[in-house]
Amino acid sequence: MLTVKNLNSGYGKLQVLYDLNINVPEKELTVIVGPNGAGKTTLLCSIMNIANVFSGEIIFGGEPLAGVVTHKLAQKGISYVPQMGNVFADLTVLDNLHMAGYMLSKAEVNDKSEQMTEIFPVLKAFIYRLAGTLSGGERRMLAIAMGLMKNPKLMLLDELSTDLAPIIAERVMVEIARMRDELGITILLVEQMAKRALEIGDTAYLLVSGEVRYSGKADSLLHEPELCSMYLGIKQASGKDADTKLSVLGEGSENS
Amino acid sequence: MAPWLSSGLVYASGLALTAGSITLLYIVTRTFNFAVASMATIGFYVAYSGVTLYGGLPYLYYPLVLIIGAITGVVCYYGLNRPLLYRKAAETTLMMSTLGYDLILLSVIQMYADFLTHSYKLFPRRVTMSLFDFELFGERAAAFILPIIAIAFLTILHIFLTKTKFGIAMRATIENPTLAGASGINSDRVYLVSWIISGGMAALGGSFIAMAMTGTPVMGMFIIPLMFAGAILGGLGNIYGGILGGMVIGLTEFAGVFILAQNFGPWVLGYRMGIPLFIMAATLLVFPRGLSGIPLAKIIRNLFRRKRGARA
Repeated sequence: MLTVKNLNSGYGKLQVLYDLNINVPEKELTVIVGPNGAGKTTLLCSIMNIANVFSGEIIFGGEPLAGVVTHKLAQKGISYVPQMGNVFADLTVLDNLHMAGYMLSKAEVNDKSEQMTEIFPVLKAFIYRLAGTLSGGERRMLAIAMGLMKNPKLMLLDELSTDLAPIIAERVMVEIARMRDELGITILLVEQMAKRALEIGDTAYLLVSGEVRYSGKADSLLHEPELCSMYLGIKQASGKDADTKLSVLGEGSENS
Repeated sequence: MAPWLSSGLVYASGLALTAGSITLLYIVTRTFNFAVASMATIGFYVAYSGVTLYGGLPYLYYPLVLIIGAITGVVCYYGLNRPLLYRKAAETTLMMSTLGYDLILLSVIQMYADFLTHSYKLFPRRVTMSLFDFELFGERAAAFILPIIAIAFLTILHIFLTKTKFGIAMRATIENPTLAGASGINSDRVYLVSWIISGGMAALGGSFIAMAMTGTPVMGMFIIPLMFAGAILGGLGNIYGGILGGMVIGLTEFAGVFILAQNFGPWVLGYRMGIPLFIMAATLLVFPRGLSGIPLAKIIRNLFRRKRGARA
């Protein structure tokens, strides 16, 4: 569904990504993992035409996205949920949902808003509250709901588990997997909570210093002890059943 | 009505609109619009041209003032602001570009004043617009009509920003342009509408201000410090704060001059602009985030608590 070919991009004159090649198959969950500063968010920003693309191609549904402005990308069916500032804090939850469905008709917006409050019941209770007053977990749920409002073909999710308590982060991960399994949405997930993301993902890319160091099955990356411990902070337990005894170095702190 | 209050209300209504215009553009496009000075003067000349060439009251020409003001905003947006925003220009560059546009508009105003003089034998370089006003309840009608128009305009603006889809989209873009773009909101259209509203507000404000002071081609340049003072007093981050700031600056100038001149003599008139600027500085020392940063709800809550405590 989405193909990134030989992408070189960054901000201003600063290059962050080098000859990046990524393929996001339809109705699959593709996970991008890597240490801080690897260029994961820059990849999403390049797709959304927020970062500067120096060279290379980004093709979505067979159509090149070069020069397509951000709001037009949303109209093409790409939904982007940023890591920070992913809700409009000064607007109510309902207005946030309505803004997320800006391109839809009034009837569609009302239907989808209702649908979102059914999928995420926690939003129903706070529908007239300012989004800025929601807790971290509630905000992420709202952000995902806003992403879904657009009837997206592709969702770009940027580190949604950051700063969340482990139990809430787990709930967010379950929701992401559910979007793929039940709604059939193609997802490109950038995540620092690497172990959990690789467990739910289909395909994975390990990004280090703007370059791809691993590409393949998501769960296979978990069986690459050197890459896991060096770049993801995931340490394999010793012993014959090491496959199933993966421990995470500082699970809580790796999100920082 | 006290004489200072009558003129002060007219003047303050105009300053409120111009300060609101500056604030709106700043929060949407990060642009301090210096061209607000000449946009305001253009508003005055549109009303003046209407009453002198076609007759009637100045109020009849305010819709035209709004349209011409909006056009000056659109020209500035497409001619200067938009290309610079797309090149991610710094705030200083954006600000200085509007100063250049202001000088262009000022030249156009001067040429237009000459045109009125030579073609229609008018005297447009020193105009007392209040001469075209009428009396209402023994006072200048402007003292009643202009605050009402200003309040009506601001009410419509408030409804637009809070109740309409595009207005809410504008607020969303102001808060988070990246997320707004990702939601499918066309920020280009939001910026354009901001310039239209802002240009209209500036021109309408200028036509109001000319009802309280002598209208000249450099009228806007003379009062631009007070327009910015109003916007800064309002906190620069909130359009309602900017409007309130403009109103406070306008009223304190007239009230301050009246009170000080009565006590210390007419020489005080020469320092009239210092009074509202002093009020602005003093307010910012106490409330650094301006009027919009005053925790009114908290203050009122505390007052009620104290009252209840005193009763108990």
